[in-house]
Amino acid sequence: MNPPGSLAGLDPNLDEHLSTQILAPSVHSDNPQERIQARRLRIAARLEPRRREALGEYLDGKKESEEDQSKSYKQKEESRLKLAKLLLCGTELVTNIQVAIDIREIHRRVEEEEIKRQRIEKLENEVKTSQDKFDEITSKWEEGKQKRIPQELWEMLNTQQLHCAGLLEDKNKLISELQQELKTKDDQYVKDLKKQSDDICLLLERMEEQVKNVMKTFREELYNIEKAFEVERQELLASNKKKWERALQAHNAKELEYLTNRMKKVEDYEKQLNRQRIWDCEEYNTIKIKLEQDVQILEQQLQQRKAIYQLNQEKLEYNLQVLKKRDEESTVIKSQQKRKINRLHDILNNLRSKYAKQIKQFQEENQSLTLDYKRLVLQFKELQKAMRHFALIDDEKFREIWLMNEEEAKDLIARAFDVDRIIHTHHLGLPWTAPDFWFLKNVGPISQQPQKSATQIVEEMLMHTEEEEAEEAASEPESYLDLPKQVSEKTTKKILMLLCDESGFLIESKLLSLLLPLEQNECYLLRLDAIFSALGIESEDDLYKLVNFFLKYRAHRLSSSLQIKSCSQASMEKASMEETSMGSELELAEQTEMEGAKEESLVEGEKEEEEETPPSPWDIHPNDVLKILEAFVMGLKKPRDSRAPPRVQKNMRNNSKDSEYWQALTTVIPSSKQNLWDALYTALEKYHIVLTQRAKLLLENSSLEQRNTELQALLQQYLNSKINSELQVPPTQVLRVPTK
Amino acid sequence: MQETVTTSALLDPSHSSVSTQDKSSTGGHTSSTGPQPSKPSITPVSAKSRNPHPGANFHRMRRIIAEDPEWSLAIVPLLTELCIQHIIRNFQNNPILKQMLPEHQQKVLNHLSPDLPLAVTSNLIDNENYWLRCCMQRWPVCHVAHHGGSWKRMFFERHLENLLKHFIPGTTDPAVILDLLPLCRNYVRRVHVDQFLPPVQIPAQLRPGDQSDSGSEGEMEEPTVDHYQLGDLVAGLSHLEELDLVYDVKDCGMNFEWNLFLFTYRDCHSLAAAIKACHTLKIFKLTRSKVDDDKARIIIRSLLDHPVLEELDLSHNLIGDRGARGAAKLLNHSRLRVLNLANNQVRAPGAQSLAHALAHNTNLISLNLRLNCIEDEGGQALAHALQTNKCLTTLHLGGNELSEPTATLLSQVLAINTTLTSINLSCNHIGLDGGKQLLEGMSDNKTLLEFDLRLSDVAQESEYLIGQALYANREAARQRALNPSHFMSTITANGPENSVG
Repeated sequence: MNPPGSLAGLDPNLDEHLSTQILAPSVHSDNPQERIQARRLRIAARLEPRRREALGEYLDGKKESEEDQSKSYKQKEESRLKLAKLLLCGTELVTNIQVAIDIREIHRRVEEEEIKRQRIEKLENEVKTSQDKFDEITSKWEEGKQKRIPQELWEMLNTQQLHCAGLLEDKNKLISELQQELKTKDDQYVKDLKKQSDDICLLLERMEEQVKNVMKTFREELYNIEKAFEVERQELLASNKKKWERALQAHNAKELEYLTNRMKKVEDYEKQLNRQRIWDCEEYNTIKIKLEQDVQILEQQLQQRKAIYQLNQEKLEYNLQVLKKRDEESTVIKSQQKRKINRLHDILNNLRSKYAKQIKQFQEENQSLTLDYKRLVLQFKELQKAMRHFALIDDEKFREIWLMNEEEAKDLIARAFDVDRIIHTHHLGLPWTAPDFWFLKNVGPISQQPQKSATQIVEEMLMHTEEEEAEEAASEPESYLDLPKQVSEKTTKKILMLLCDESGFLIESKLLSLLLPLEQNECYLLRLDAIFSALGIESEDDLYKLVNFFLKYRAHRLSSSLQIKSCSQASMEKASMEETSMGSELELAEQTEMEGAKEESLVEGEKEEEEETPPSPWDIHPNDVLKILEAFVMGLKKPRDSRAPPRVQKNMRNNSKDSEYWQALTTVIPSSKQNLWDALYTALEKYHIVLTQRAKLLLENSSLEQRNTELQALLQQYLNSKINSELQVPPTQVLRVPTK
Repeated sequence: MQETVTTSALLDPSHSSVSTQDKSSTGGHTSSTGPQPSKPSITPVSAKSRNPHPGANFHRMRRIIAEDPEWSLAIVPLLTELCIQHIIRNFQNNPILKQMLPEHQQKVLNHLSPDLPLAVTSNLIDNENYWLRCCMQRWPVCHVAHHGGSWKRMFFERHLENLLKHFIPGTTDPAVILDLLPLCRNYVRRVHVDQFLPPVQIPAQLRPGDQSDSGSEGEMEEPTVDHYQLGDLVAGLSHLEELDLVYDVKDCGMNFEWNLFLFTYRDCHSLAAAIKACHTLKIFKLTRSKVDDDKARIIIRSLLDHPVLEELDLSHNLIGDRGARGAAKLLNHSRLRVLNLANNQVRAPGAQSLAHALAHNTNLISLNLRLNCIEDEGGQALAHALQTNKCLTTLHLGGNELSEPTATLLSQVLAINTTLTSINLSCNHIGLDGGKQLLEGMSDNKTLLEFDLRLSDVAQESEYLIGQALYANREAARQRALNPSHFMSTITANGPENSVG
């Protein structure tokens, strides 16, 4: 079975081998041209059977399609088809044998199977029958054992022998049949072998024939294709040659034409050139004449120039000499200057060293002086301390002396007043009223009246208002401070409250947290304290200034309310902007202020009705407060700068007041009263005189009376003793009595 | 060889003393017969002069040379030449090749004797020319294309094949093959052995019992008729790709005995182990070796999940349905591309199992079931499988007792399938109607290139028409191949198939 397959496998290789072998010489013998050879090889490759690699085929096909030439292409296609057919038919022819053998084999197998089946059946049947027979025989053996008669036994034995012989015969027959079959099979096998070898021979023959055929046809086709290519090439050559000739002719004709054209043109150009040449000659001559004239003129000018040049040269030489001299001079000067510079450098160095020395000196001096200064400062401080100490002592002394003197003076004054009162009551019979003077109440030196701090005032004020609120309409105590007239206490308070609410940002946050549990008033107080310290308000005056500033601002605003409304709005906006920039503290303050404003706005209405005339601080918008404060602080700074000197002045000024005071004390009794007193004195003098006269008279009288009385006493004594007592009665009575 | 001899012989007389008369004369003789391209200037003169009087010309020659005004050093060989000759002469003892310049190497290789021991040459010489000479010397017919175009490979493969062919277990020393192993392991890719000799038995023991009860004796002697165990050899060949074995004895002549053709279980097991261990094996063929179901299953089991195996050929054996079932299992547990079960005893159940495996297989390209007996049931099953299969290109069902029902189903397949290129239904009983139906199926097919319907009772007319359709398909395929831009994908799909098929 296998040999044909293996041979078939070998076949194409052989084929290839042969074809290449055949191709090579043909290429060399026929035509050595490379192109044709390449084509041949390609064709040979294409003529390979179909199972050739797809890549190669594809390359071939591509080139073929590229060529796409009618004749050769057709020829190639034709031969390809022919060869393909040939190959197909050939392989079919070859494989036909295989197929035939296959089908024979199948038939054989089928038959074999059938025979095998029959044989098996037969064998089985035979086995069955022989088994039956065998059983029969064995059963008869049993029978035989029972037989007692020898004839019967012999008979039976004979029959058994016969049976056995029959069985054996059957078997032998079967065996011989099978052996016969085997023999026929052997024969068959030999025949098959022969047949197969025949087949193989046939196959080989066919393959060889096929190879030969294919080779032949391949060669033929190759030749045909070559021929086709050759013919095509010839045709192409011929056609190309024709084309070439035609083109050459056309080219020649054109060349001739161009030549004649060119000749004509050359002639034309020659003529033109001649004309041009003549014309140019004429022009050249004229220009030459003109240029010669120009040359003459220029030569003249040249001479002139030369003369000028000589002149200039002389001048320049002179100048050169002058300059040389100057140069020499300048070199001398330069050297001098250099020397000078050196000298100055020396001086500069000296000065520098000196300067350094001096700097050292001055530094030392400075150090010593600073030391001195420190010492002096210390001394000065000590001195100041001493001074302060002494001043205090002085003050104390002064105050004591003052008090002493004042006491003395007041005693005197009191005596005077007493006298005056006695005079008035006893002598003049007039009611006496004690004169009321400021200095009378004064105790102690005027100058030491304490300047209250702003906070104290506020505290007082707050306390006061509190009381007021409690008493509602209690009268304002006149004793309370000397506020500026137009500023009422309430407005002050409101302003301060406003300030307190508005400028919360000036207070430290810590303080705020501490303030929370306190009472409202105390709270305000502490807040204001903080605000004042921040604003730099220390004294009472500053506070009033502030209040006044507020009021003024308001007044100003009222006056120009209409115009400024818009401005105020803007300022408000500005303020709000500022506020926002002030941060969270301000917001907090604002919140509190809003709350406060709500409460106060209720009160405000009532208040405004009550006090219409004074400018209400409530008109001041909370937003303006900051602006006002800013302006105020700016304004306050100026006086603040010169604060130290006034303090000293205050002590000096007190002296004038003192003299005044003391002067006033001297003039406690006015001159009119003194006049009165003088008049009274004179009158009293007169009265005294009268009285003294009377006394004298009285004495005379009394002496007279005494004589009288003595006479009377003597009389009375004579009359009665009792009458003596009556004598003790004033003489007036005595006088009267007689009048009565 | 000859050239070297002549040159040396020529040189000797010219400078040596007169005493070596015989030598010189022989040398002169050889010089005249041997090739003369190297010294054309001297030899013709000497040859002419010497030919008439070979005995007397020595003196003349010597005199002429001594007085020859044209004599020059040019005829004295160069030192390199001498060295090369020496190397060639002593190559067996002292092989020097790699250290030389390429031109000298070439010279040495051109003059080395092909009879040098393989131990020296095998790993040293890669030159194809040398091995070509070796092959040509040993074998009159050489198909180098069968051995990958490499003469060296061919030499070793055929050498190994020879050794295996004539290896007789028990008598031949296994070292003969194992010694060759390190020399040829890098060059042998294909082992093709078409005969395995059984161990020699003493004929006296066999002959008497031969006719009476061979069966019992065969059983007795079965362990003793094991053939050469391929395990060591296969494990040693690192590049082995193809194994083509036939457990057969050739040219036994009148010594024919059934025992000679036994493929024993031990052989089978050792072979299975050997191919399982060989991970480079691509093609495995075991033909004409009386492989029955059990042995086939043993071998197939060892091939399950083999990494590279592509072709399995078990044709001309005794494989039945169970073996076919094993092969079907193998189809989906390997990368098998070609399966050949021609001339076995596969029947309908076996074909059905194969069809079941084929239905969803994506590797198999060619299936050959020639000369089996799958009948219509099997044929129908295969046709059903082909309706879903997208890979198979070649199908050989020749001589399978197929008839009309299979043909009707196949005609449906032809209309659907676009991968099949070759179908062989020769030697079946397709019948006239079946042929017509196949013709209908062919009218819708554009890919089939070969369709063999010889001797299958098909009407000539339909056969002719089918042939026409095939011709059209072939032309279309050729056009497709010529203009690959439109059908690039189809070509790339077809390319490897063509090369394999």
